[in-house]
Amino acid sequence: MSKAVLVDLVRCMGCRACQVACKAWNDNPGDLTTICLGCYDNPPDFTGDTWSLIRFTEVEDESGQLHWVFTKRQCMHCEHPACVSACPVSALQKLSSGPVVYKAQNCIGCRYCMLACPFHVPRINWDEVLPPIKKCTFCADRQSAGLEPACVKACPTDALTYGERDELLAEARKRIAARPDKYVNHIYGEKEAGGTSWLYISPVPFTALGFPELDEEPIPELSEAIATYGTPSMLLGVAALLGGIYWLTKRRAEGMQERAKEK
Amino acid sequence: MTNPWTDIKNSDCIMIIGSNAAENHPMAFKWVTKAIEENGATLISVDPRFTRSSAKADIYVRMRSGTDIAFIGGMIKWVLDDMEAHPEKYNMTYLLEYTNASFLIDPAFKTAAELDGKFSGFQPSDQNPAFGKYDKSTWKWQTDENGIPRRDPTLKDPNCVFQLLKKHFARYDVDTVCSITGADKAAYLKACEAYASTGAVGKSGTILYAMGTTQHTYGTQNIRAYSILQLLLGNIGVAGGGVNALRGESNVQGSTDHGLLFHTLPGYLSPPTADQATLQDHLKARLAVYATSDPKSASWWLNYPKYFVSLLKSWYGDNATPDNDFGYSWLPKLNPGTNYSHIALFEAMAAGNIKGLFCWGQNPAVGGPNSFLERRALHNLDWLVSVDLWETETCLFWQEPGIDPASVKTEVFVLPAAASFEKEGSITNSGRWSQWRWKALEPVGEARPDLEIVVELMLRIIELYEKEGGPVADAVTKLRWKNWYDASPLPRGATSLVDLVSREINGWAETQILNEDGSVQYEKGQLITTFAHLKDNGSTSSACWIYTNSYTDKDGNKQQSRDNTDYHPAGIGLYSKWSWCWPMNRRIIYNRASVDLEGKPWDAEHFVIRWDPAANEGKGGWVGDVPDGGWPPMNMEGTRYPFIMKATGMAHIFGPGLVDGPFPEHYEPVESPVRNLLSGTQNNPTIKVWRPEEIANPDEYPIVCTTFRVTEHWQAGQMTRNLPWLVELMPQMFVEMSEELAEELGIKTGELVTVESIRGSVQGTAIVTKRFKPMLIAGKVVHQIGLPWHWGFAGLCTGDSANQLTPHVGDANTMIPEYKAFLVRVKKGGA
Repeated sequence: MSKAVLVDLVRCMGCRACQVACKAWNDNPGDLTTICLGCYDNPPDFTGDTWSLIRFTEVEDESGQLHWVFTKRQCMHCEHPACVSACPVSALQKLSSGPVVYKAQNCIGCRYCMLACPFHVPRINWDEVLPPIKKCTFCADRQSAGLEPACVKACPTDALTYGERDELLAEARKRIAARPDKYVNHIYGEKEAGGTSWLYISPVPFTALGFPELDEEPIPELSEAIATYGTPSMLLGVAALLGGIYWLTKRRAEGMQERAKEK
Repeated sequence: MTNPWTDIKNSDCIMIIGSNAAENHPMAFKWVTKAIEENGATLISVDPRFTRSSAKADIYVRMRSGTDIAFIGGMIKWVLDDMEAHPEKYNMTYLLEYTNASFLIDPAFKTAAELDGKFSGFQPSDQNPAFGKYDKSTWKWQTDENGIPRRDPTLKDPNCVFQLLKKHFARYDVDTVCSITGADKAAYLKACEAYASTGAVGKSGTILYAMGTTQHTYGTQNIRAYSILQLLLGNIGVAGGGVNALRGESNVQGSTDHGLLFHTLPGYLSPPTADQATLQDHLKARLAVYATSDPKSASWWLNYPKYFVSLLKSWYGDNATPDNDFGYSWLPKLNPGTNYSHIALFEAMAAGNIKGLFCWGQNPAVGGPNSFLERRALHNLDWLVSVDLWETETCLFWQEPGIDPASVKTEVFVLPAAASFEKEGSITNSGRWSQWRWKALEPVGEARPDLEIVVELMLRIIELYEKEGGPVADAVTKLRWKNWYDASPLPRGATSLVDLVSREINGWAETQILNEDGSVQYEKGQLITTFAHLKDNGSTSSACWIYTNSYTDKDGNKQQSRDNTDYHPAGIGLYSKWSWCWPMNRRIIYNRASVDLEGKPWDAEHFVIRWDPAANEGKGGWVGDVPDGGWPPMNMEGTRYPFIMKATGMAHIFGPGLVDGPFPEHYEPVESPVRNLLSGTQNNPTIKVWRPEEIANPDEYPIVCTTFRVTEHWQAGQMTRNLPWLVELMPQMFVEMSEELAEELGIKTGELVTVESIRGSVQGTAIVTKRFKPMLIAGKVVHQIGLPWHWGFAGLCTGDSANQLTPHVGDANTMIPEYKAFLVRVKKGGA
């Protein structure tokens, strides 16, 4: 039996209490942001200090009806995590209770996990020397003390439900069956990439929300191939490139912030 | 709110209008979610913007800001037409027996349908005939020889309220309404049908509103429109019904209960006016409003003298005696005709007539309308005291960009206040639940609880007056503060200052009180258990009569109750032992309207109260919520009508109490892109226009603008714009606009734009969204944009204040500013 969270996008109203609760529990500082994307999403993507965020998507369906969907995103905690099998030194582990956890002391900084993840979740703080991988921990620390994840506790509308994966799948099916007018008939994460510990039900198709269309096959096969045929030097090159891009982006963001202050 | 938050779960249809509950009341929104999921409720969201609440709605109807009366007026007409065709679909007994629909009105009364948008009795002012005031002498019902209102139970008489209502709203047909409001006709009809279906016996619908409703020059009449709709549908007093004001801050309800508004004393008593020289003059004037000769009318406000004298006793203690009118002469008096609202005070300050200001937990430099004007007005002060958690823009007005601090002569004092978690006390939520909060941690630095600040300040002021005297010295020195709040031990068994005040609010016996048979009812100093025991002879005190029963000798401070069991026999979720609710722990007010004439509930499954003939050893009694008075049902001897706060005991569909009409009538906002389609009366004719030169012309400023709040920030921003986690989420002032408008102006999402009104300009980042759409109003395309108003020049995250654009004009009855509808133009780029 493993723990999971059901995210009900029909219930979520995008208040982002989960995003703040995550920072509060993990003592992560606020990121310096701007409205650079011209929408509410902020920060625009995961960062070393933001492991959980809400994406705001405006979707017009075929009848012209507007949906504004708020999607909580974080590590999906795959049943067969690509990051774990890509890691040459077992710094990442899938616990039988659900969380995919990270041991910084084992990490050699190769960042295979970042390349392997089909959801583009793991991050590092490029500012730091020998930066550790940062991502949602599924509050493994809280879970081991019998507590629900911090984000689930903070959710005011019960859009997040924590429990046994099997039971949550049954609950998801029940909700879809009760209101077929409100949900699409798809539980994302039930089968994708061999299944994930975070499950989603939604009023609109998941492709409209930026979820990758994945096969039912677990991804580790692919990541093992990278681990086998890729070389550390090649990856270092990739890392350096990514680091450079990050540095430029950040400088630009800081510039915008400065300009905002000047006026 | 007439009903508590928890009761929303019982509703069959929820209409959120003038509110964005999901955004601004996220915790409480769970009860809306419960209604949808567990009760199969339909959620209707009416808003110019597709909001986070709209995102959860079954039916979304777009409506141009400021057209609520047209929108709801059209629904009222829809219901009236349907009601005549299908009376069986509605609760006609409720309408006939509990509202004044059947009252016959003075034949001289004329509706706005007959007088081009005005009611009978309008007297234009000499300066500007478009504005004036009403002689309300025709706004009255006919009475019989006993002084009881004459009624027509057939509702056919042309002078009865029902027929007048029909005549008045006949112009509000669906096409006209959609042309005024910009609503999509199909969506509007869907909303009408869904909401009208709650008129069936046993069904209920609730209206949730907030500042999107009130902040208009006819905000009070917006709410009247909701009330009339709810009364036609029998939705007041029932579970899942009501007209529910979602308060904009956690303790707004408490602050109005305790008299923080300029036109009320605690418990909604009236401040005396200068023409009421004696206590008797004041009481006589109030009692005249509530006089009734109908034995079935309780007209509860006839108890006014008891509450007023008990308030004076609470304030002045032993110094208040029958010989000195209980200290009435010490009370400040309002000058009749003078306005003391926020706008009026800042106009007086701008004119140099106000020299000192205490700004207590308020930040008008950001939150006030026309905030440039209000910031300049602060320069005229000799002194300013800001009591707040942070340095606000108001207390830093002399540091505003562009201002030379050396040019400001005002002396500014900052008194740091403790946050809610750093002190103990009660807050009253929108549902009237007074809930105790305990201190979680010590205040930071020199910060102190507001209560301590005000007590120490006042004790020092009293000392100064005792030493130096002054024209109103007695009003201050006779207060029961010295040797009371500073006594050790504290008087009457109080364990702390806040405990003492809480007991004082409830009220005590100030002398021994005897029952009629001579036995002792209360010893001196015992807490009073119900406001029915308060007296007008000085033997009781209460600092807020509606809170009597919140603290008793037997049960202690009931605001501290934390038993979350639902004791209601129908399980409707009233949680009677969680906190305490005014009045008398009654969770749903006007609940006597939730039953038929025999005391049987309209909705047996979700009943609020019901009459049990077997109770009280066969004498009968009410079961469920605390009833609005214990009188038996309408078919029994000794009964009373359900709407006990009205002189007639009937709910007011025809409401003559307001200054601008007994029925709501659609007017345009002071700044509007179109002429009024319904009449030649463009604006509410009873408002005061402070600065006529600052009313924009739609040719120059063609775009409708409204202001709003976001979940991530709080009010004027000091509490959230200084927190990095929240600043990360909403880092900048922004401007929401439709894709169509953005294309017209060549603006891309994320670009800097400038928004200008006739009063000022602001900059922000464009958020181009599908959630705004152009509207077709009176045949022309009208754009609307929206601005959050949280930003200012101080703090961690700064930006322009949307209120730099808003006008200095307010509601005719309450003077709340018209923040929610004004005209602007938009330019790409910075200024």
